[in-house]
Amino acid sequence: MQTIILIILGIVIAPVLGGLIAGLDRRVTARLQSRFGPPILQPFYDVAKLFGKDKVVSNFWQVFCSWVYLIAAALSVGLLFAGSDLLLIFFVQAIGAVFLVMGGLSTPSPYSQVGSQRELIQVLTYEPLLILVFASIFMVTGSFRIDEILAYEQPLLVQLPLMFVVLGYALTIKLRKSPFDFSTSHHGHQELVKGMLTEFSGPYLGIIEIGHWYETIFILGICALFWHTSLVGCVLLIASTYFAELIIDNTMARMTWRWMLKYVWSIGLAMSFVNLIWLYAG
Amino acid sequence: MLPMMLVLAILLPLVAAVGCYFLRVSAIRSLIVLCTGVVLAAVSLALLGQGTFTYSPGTIVGISWDSIITLADFALLFVMLYYAFKLKNQMIKIFVILQIIPLAVFEMFFVDHAVETPAIFADSLSLIMVAVISVIGSLICFFAIPYMKEHEEHLHLVKSRQPQFFFFLVLFLGAMNGLVLSNNILWLYFFFEVTTFCSFMLIGHDQTQIAVKNATRALMLNALGGVAFVFGMIWAYAETGSLDLQVIIQAGPMGGLMLAPLGLLCLAGFTKAAQVPFQSWLLGAMVAPTPVSALLHSSTMVKAGVYIVLRLAPAYAGTFLSQGIALCGAFTFLACAAIAISQSNGKKILAYSTISNLGLIICCAGLNTSWAITAAIILIIFHAASKALLFLCVGTIEHGIGSRDIEDMHGLYLKMPRTAVITIVGVMTMLLPPFGVLLGKWMAIESASGDMFVITMLALGSALSLVFWARWAGILLTAPLRDKVPAESQSVLTRLTLTALAGIAVVLSFFSPVIYTKLIEPMVGKSFEITAGVFTSPMGVFAVYPIFIILAAAFIYSWIETKKSASDKTSQTYMCGANVPEAGVQSFIGPMNGPVELKASNYYMKEFFGEGKLTLWVNFVALALIVLMLGGAL
Repeated sequence: MQTIILIILGIVIAPVLGGLIAGLDRRVTARLQSRFGPPILQPFYDVAKLFGKDKVVSNFWQVFCSWVYLIAAALSVGLLFAGSDLLLIFFVQAIGAVFLVMGGLSTPSPYSQVGSQRELIQVLTYEPLLILVFASIFMVTGSFRIDEILAYEQPLLVQLPLMFVVLGYALTIKLRKSPFDFSTSHHGHQELVKGMLTEFSGPYLGIIEIGHWYETIFILGICALFWHTSLVGCVLLIASTYFAELIIDNTMARMTWRWMLKYVWSIGLAMSFVNLIWLYAG
Repeated sequence: MLPMMLVLAILLPLVAAVGCYFLRVSAIRSLIVLCTGVVLAAVSLALLGQGTFTYSPGTIVGISWDSIITLADFALLFVMLYYAFKLKNQMIKIFVILQIIPLAVFEMFFVDHAVETPAIFADSLSLIMVAVISVIGSLICFFAIPYMKEHEEHLHLVKSRQPQFFFFLVLFLGAMNGLVLSNNILWLYFFFEVTTFCSFMLIGHDQTQIAVKNATRALMLNALGGVAFVFGMIWAYAETGSLDLQVIIQAGPMGGLMLAPLGLLCLAGFTKAAQVPFQSWLLGAMVAPTPVSALLHSSTMVKAGVYIVLRLAPAYAGTFLSQGIALCGAFTFLACAAIAISQSNGKKILAYSTISNLGLIICCAGLNTSWAITAAIILIIFHAASKALLFLCVGTIEHGIGSRDIEDMHGLYLKMPRTAVITIVGVMTMLLPPFGVLLGKWMAIESASGDMFVITMLALGSALSLVFWARWAGILLTAPLRDKVPAESQSVLTRLTLTALAGIAVVLSFFSPVIYTKLIEPMVGKSFEITAGVFTSPMGVFAVYPIFIILAAAFIYSWIETKKSASDKTSQTYMCGANVPEAGVQSFIGPMNGPVELKASNYYMKEFFGEGKLTLWVNFVALALIVLMLGGAL
């Protein structure tokens, strides 16, 4: 019963939090660029506006895929709040990722096609790193279950500092921030129009936006596990991590997928190895 | 009752095969195949209900079955030698002679024929294998009936070669059942060779130059496996003095000297399961008609290879050999998933993905905890169903659009909606929770988490496989699509087999907790608590029923929303405002004001994952790992 309540709580709270974070993101970004920026609630207004627009689609599978994406993202966050298994949550989240790509591929627009292919490469880049992060958490705590991990007395950050950096790479890719924002740039007019999301519009784009809020919470939730022992530490860690993301986003130019795959895999794997060997030795 | 069931499982296919060969009327042949398939499936399920048993068949008209098998074995080896001379292939000649001579010496001078060895032993693993072979194998044979008719029409053959085709196809099922039920290692070896020979004949079936070439390669590599098997078997006999597989397994971990013969037997399993660097024969096997590829890749042949490695797992538990096997398997999983990304040939993608998944199963055998062995068995079951389904889908698509290249499958949903959706279902069952293959993968990754190298390879391989599956599923839908698509016509048997296999892959996944508690747990020991369809251990949780139900609801809801969208406006594909202004035309105005048609294709990332680029290095590393595995064992 408690599990179900937690799942529902997660599903209700996460999009609100995710939307607020998106609003803060825009505000801080604006300040970093010496602009004033929109109100914090702007993402909610945007999504509300999207839902008020006419429904227009070019392939009905887009509708199907956008809904599955949202539900899978919500379910993964629900499972996260309920303290389920990290890998399982990750695989549930992958359902959403796969269906989003399928939705993008379902229309013949070259922007959407190329964007989806790039999105797949982004998934290819962050997925192994996330699995390694989970495996390293397992090596420290002896479990993949979040309820067991929360029972561990020490902050994971102490033993897994490099893995946290690796997670940071995954976070940047997953949030589609520079230098890794080439599948659907959050600046709508750039390069590939809006990449994978080009053909989504109106309420269906709104659905995907809410799904994205869930994913933000998903990744930040994983970050939070690294300092689960104190609430203050946890909030501090998430806030500073997200702020670092913003700085990176605003100071980096977009790179190519070739660079991303080579760079993130090599650096990510190297850091993981160093951290894991250190664990073994310690 | 039991002898009767065993006769039906092993000998009925032989009789039916002979029937297919001599009764050259297509209606009779179809009837024989259908009846045999139904009987086999029923018997396999009955055997599964029966549970563990040991059985010795004794004699028939005064001659012991052991002698009959021995005779048949030599007959088969000489047939292979005949083909080696016919094909003028020196390597096959050497490999076959290297089996005949040691085997003859072994049989004549070493084996104590007075000792009674139970010929048949079945535990859950064998019985699950029998069920997989008999149910999925039979469905593939059913599919072959309409498929081969069309196939021969495409080739414009004057004289049908179907009698021979179905002879080997049906015989294959019997040989596989024999292989997984054998306890006498000589019997196991005989059936091992029969599958080698059947696959050789089936791959070369079309008798084109390339078919003969690839069949020859298959025979050569599998004969190499046979040599490893013979030497492993003789060595194991020298150590234990027994032909009884159970005795050999129990003798395993005690004596360090037992590791070398076990390593050789596993090597034989590697060749049969087409692990790198032996993968080339299975890739070559794609030239065969699709039902053959489906059979080789899902329920037979390659599964014989992983079966042997898995069967011997308790014998090498906790040794260096075990670690070596885990590394070899994980490397195959990673390497073949990487190469699969660069392929656009649908069958080749499936082939590489098969080898990759077999690598994962072998890796689990090497990890050798009860958790990992559970993962391996679950992977065997569900991989067989999903992969058979996908191969048959590609076969159907190929007959429908005349190509097996995934680039030609863009927008397949418009032309073949039913097949396209079933293909997507097949892809989902290979890739996503809560389906069986992913359950197995989840168990594999969690049980590998203590080993830094294995977990890294599994993490990378798992991400790589997501790319080629998601991409394929996505492009099947690529089209501006607003109206209802006209239904697709399929022959009854095609529709039946595809639907049945999709059903098995999806519905059986729902029952994975039951499969675990009823079949796997009694054999490998408890590693999970199951409550309300949720796998639970202190280390992890996998909620099968809840996720299944929530996702089913999600899919239904999404489909209702999709239906509702029928009244939505239709958008033109976005082309920066340069669309050709005619309705329904997917072109933009390009240079010289001429219309340019939209065209997009997949990223294959050949500069990273190209077959030509990786194969040499992959083979090199794999060979090094095998040397490490065997050398460490010695």
